[in-house]
Amino acid sequence: MAHALSTGRRLAVASVSGVAVVGLALAGCSSSPSGGSTASSGGSGATIVLGTTDSITALDPAGSYDNGSFAVQTQVFGFLFDTPYGSPDVEPSLAESGEFVDPNTFEVKLKEGLKFANGHDLTASDVKFTFDRQQAIGASGADGGNGPSSLLANLDSTDVKDDLTVDFHLKVANDQTFEQVLSSPVGPIVDEEVFSPDAITPDDDIVAANAFEGQYVITSYKVNELIQYKPNPDYVGVLDAPANGEVDVKYYTDSSNLKLDVQSGNIDAAYRSLSPQDIADLSSDPNVTVTTGPGGEIRYIVFNFNTQPFGATQPDADPAKALAVRQAVADLIDRDALSDLYQGTYTPLYSYVPDGLTGANTALKGLYGDGNGGPDADKAKQTLAAAGVTTPVTLNITYNSDHYGPLSGDEYGLIKDQLETSGLFTVNLSGVQNVQFSKDAPNDGYPVFQRGWFPDYSDADNYLTPFFPEGGFLHNHYDNPQVDELITQEVGEADPSKRAEIIGQIQDLVAKDLDTIPLLQGAQVIVTGKSVTGAVLDASFKFRYATLSK
Amino acid sequence: MASGRRSHGGLWRYLLVRFLLIFPTIFILVTVVFFLMRMTGDPITAAQGGKLSPDELAERIHLAGYDRPLIVQYLEYLGQIVQGNFGTTYTDHLAVTTVLARYGTATLELAVYALLVAGIVGIPLGMLAAYIRDKWGDAVLRVLAIVFYATPIFFSGLLFKLVFSTWLHVLPVAGRASTGSELRMQLLAHPTGIDLIDAIQTGDPAVVGDVLLHAVLPALALGLLTAGVFLRLVRTNVIGTFTTGYIDSARSRGVGEFRLVTKHAYKPALIPIITVIGLQVAMLLGGAVLTETTFEWKGLGYQLNHYLQDRDFVAVQGIVALLAVIVAVVNFVVDAIAALVDPRVRY
Repeated sequence: MAHALSTGRRLAVASVSGVAVVGLALAGCSSSPSGGSTASSGGSGATIVLGTTDSITALDPAGSYDNGSFAVQTQVFGFLFDTPYGSPDVEPSLAESGEFVDPNTFEVKLKEGLKFANGHDLTASDVKFTFDRQQAIGASGADGGNGPSSLLANLDSTDVKDDLTVDFHLKVANDQTFEQVLSSPVGPIVDEEVFSPDAITPDDDIVAANAFEGQYVITSYKVNELIQYKPNPDYVGVLDAPANGEVDVKYYTDSSNLKLDVQSGNIDAAYRSLSPQDIADLSSDPNVTVTTGPGGEIRYIVFNFNTQPFGATQPDADPAKALAVRQAVADLIDRDALSDLYQGTYTPLYSYVPDGLTGANTALKGLYGDGNGGPDADKAKQTLAAAGVTTPVTLNITYNSDHYGPLSGDEYGLIKDQLETSGLFTVNLSGVQNVQFSKDAPNDGYPVFQRGWFPDYSDADNYLTPFFPEGGFLHNHYDNPQVDELITQEVGEADPSKRAEIIGQIQDLVAKDLDTIPLLQGAQVIVTGKSVTGAVLDASFKFRYATLSK
Repeated sequence: MASGRRSHGGLWRYLLVRFLLIFPTIFILVTVVFFLMRMTGDPITAAQGGKLSPDELAERIHLAGYDRPLIVQYLEYLGQIVQGNFGTTYTDHLAVTTVLARYGTATLELAVYALLVAGIVGIPLGMLAAYIRDKWGDAVLRVLAIVFYATPIFFSGLLFKLVFSTWLHVLPVAGRASTGSELRMQLLAHPTGIDLIDAIQTGDPAVVGDVLLHAVLPALALGLLTAGVFLRLVRTNVIGTFTTGYIDSARSRGVGEFRLVTKHAYKPALIPIITVIGLQVAMLLGGAVLTETTFEWKGLGYQLNHYLQDRDFVAVQGIVALLAVIVAVVNFVVDAIAALVDPRVRY
């Protein structure tokens, strides 16, 4: 027995050793779990390690139309016009100037001596090449449907006048948004000696050719894994030189890993996208700083004017009653409660143009609810009674279950509660996957439904033109000729103050019609280690790494 | 002599049938994946739905050819893969063969680590359980085995991260290496994609240590899954060999119990492990999807998850086809070895 116990112990020791060898022996190979942060400390030479859950579709600006790709392009490509820090409005960047020389021709003069980081000259020919290939690739489908060429819908053609002058011929005259378009995902200028005129140029070829002219160049690139940026000493755009010596961007899939890494100091900053709960947790962590700024994303409820209760194609069609239903819904929505659900990562939105952009107002705030942004059930009841609507009104609301984040179901559950608590509505709520939702929503599939919008550029018009003329991309049968006329005016109005005034009028008009009910505006959030300073999150909605230092 | 020819003929016929079965297996899998992916929608709508107008969306879908009859798309796809052309991914414009080469190595590395863990943990514990069979220690080990293979990887992964990364701060949260090490390896002239080999190529022991350190938790999470199977299998087989004549004979000659287990009984007990390894390859690859996602281990499983979310038909089909080939070939090899070792299999 003593022998058996002895051998048993030996076997047990051997077994336990087997388990231990996996963990301890390997763990013993290094003394530092974080190991690889190459950050040097202090001054302009500091290395910033940033984490993100973004993903890159393509470095080539003609092959991508998504936040992750544009985040990279923003750092390494130059734009003719760009937004300086702290402003939503654009200024000449690679351009020396830009103006309408006739109503349909926008002429851009380039700065002298522009060069790509590889030494190639950046001339008007590169600019023409850039926009010609965007249109050609979009038209041929060589972008696989992924490119941003639709932003050039108003561009007829591009001509080179001389080495420093380019003429953009526009279909619609005096398009005041064109400068903004030039700063958008369709606007990065590319090197005609490197990029293909009619196909997407592979990421590795672009990096190898060092075909960059932005604030940074890419010195090491592994797509969706790790990118190393170093300052481009030849950058001459509107932005300042980088305050750091290097930025390494690490890509994550799981936001909880991103959170843990920024919390434990393995990375210096986490930008996009931490969950609201993670951000709430990190806000109380003394080792990190949470910085927020205005975001361009908006969320809203859409009414289909044909199929909503009392809509135009319903047996009991009545425009006045239909409007009363929309107004009552607007009276009952509690945006603060919705914002709380998102732990403040979305803020209440009271108009169609989000806060921070030139021309934005709070048109719905005074018109509906208690007049201060809060809900008012009595007012909703009076509105419906005055229109002769019998309550409760049955409202079928559909939300997109997999496109606007995991909390969409909770958000619309809360809206259902807010509407039903009043006793004025009975809400049938359904969640539909994006693929089906995208087909049904614009084809009269849902009487009332969820939508969200990510802007292409930071101009108020990007929240008006796509939506309201003849129902816009929503296809909800909304039509107000006065709104259409005002939108045409604001697009062509060169005087900024007059333009802002018109934009305000448009919001006031639509707020009365309630084509849609704006709910929330997304905030930009960055979490940084305590030693990191300089994060700028502004209404340009572009996050530039160059301001970060430590 | 005649019996020997029959035997060899039976073996070859068996191997030929098993080999030919690889093709319909892969064909069926590729076909099922093709049609299932189409049922979930198209990648353009997944990426741009809600951003572009319905007309623009339809135009782009048309240009990409996703609105053609399914059978046309299917036949075109089959034609391409017969020619070895797996296409280019929609979401990141990479040739599928590049994706397979780039990320397959990472998955292979993880699978090797996991098998190492499974062997080191499962086999000795199985022997121990057999040795102390029917005692409380054996019961504990059997329960442990069930816990190993019944615990979902995403749960055990999170638990490991919580304990070793968040509470004890001794192991990294995620990734295959820290940023500095990854940059060092990216600068290599001839990277293999297997981080341990690349780390050795840098000649810096700190980079090697860093890479190994990052492998510990993913290897444990995935390896323990198989370790549970190994533990129970070895235990059962070792107990089985205890009742055989040659063990009785060895015991009667005075061979000690410890030596009986570790020298005489365990070797025959390990033969079924060969077969099980074949079966476990599919389990490991399935588990790799969860492990790689949990630990940001950028291998095929991680990429598969990413491509599935984006409805990237081309990428998903390519990766699944490769996984199908791996599982089918490994099973064929295992069947062949089993047939060679044990003549009963081929009849």
